[in-house]
Amino acid sequence: MSQDHSTIVKQLPNELFLPQVVALLNEGHTVTLPLRGRSMRPFLEDNRDKALLKAVDKPQVGDAVLAELTSGHFVLHRIISIEGNQVTLCGDGNLTPDPLCRLEDIRGKAIGFYRKGSNCLDSTDGRKWRIYSWWWTRLYPIRRYLLFMLHPHIPYRFRKTKKI
Amino acid sequence: MKTKKGFNLRTVCGENIIVAEGIENVDFSRIISMNESSAYLWKNIQGTDFDENTLAELLLKEYEVDEATARSDAKALVEKWLEAGIIE
Repeated sequence: MSQDHSTIVKQLPNELFLPQVVALLNEGHTVTLPLRGRSMRPFLEDNRDKALLKAVDKPQVGDAVLAELTSGHFVLHRIISIEGNQVTLCGDGNLTPDPLCRLEDIRGKAIGFYRKGSNCLDSTDGRKWRIYSWWWTRLYPIRRYLLFMLHPHIPYRFRKTKKI
Repeated sequence: MKTKKGFNLRTVCGENIIVAEGIENVDFSRIISMNESSAYLWKNIQGTDFDENTLAELLLKEYEVDEATARSDAKALVEKWLEAGIIE
């Protein structure tokens, strides 16, 4: 769409749009969804990549899932633990996990990603995603530094502000 | 002319959008937003063989416009749709 200058890109509000996506998943469709946010860095980038989603019966630790944490608040994050009905999610690009949610809050699972404008799916069963996932989840203790190296930025509180 | 298979009109959050739908997959990464009159035309011509005249007639039937405006609008719309790749 970006090559057409007459096209206006519209952003639909998540809390209204994603329930419709969930309805389609429940009807048995798969859904391709453009991704927003930086919480699944470094593999997935804001506004660049797309996820292929499917409804899920039994989510597993390590899956990237679409979850409705609270009513209307959706995230696509990785499951880091399941205890009974309690699920802990954490975005690959986040340092702290999300608040606990329940198994039934998980609405769908990413079965693959289209990255960097490619039409070729990186399946979550494929080598690339599995190798990346293995390393990235084990490197959690030093994630803070890895993320900083990959996406350097200076926190606002340390920035010099110009005084007028 | 015909609408391409797999491009269906959906109403999402009050917006009329054309979404690419296969038998299995629904692709929201490339959607085309339509205004009310454009959506009305799409509903009426989807799956049929149509041309600019068909669209102009539909516009005249539904809206209070003169024929010249309807025709020029229909022509412009067909160009837009061709450009968007949703008709052939």
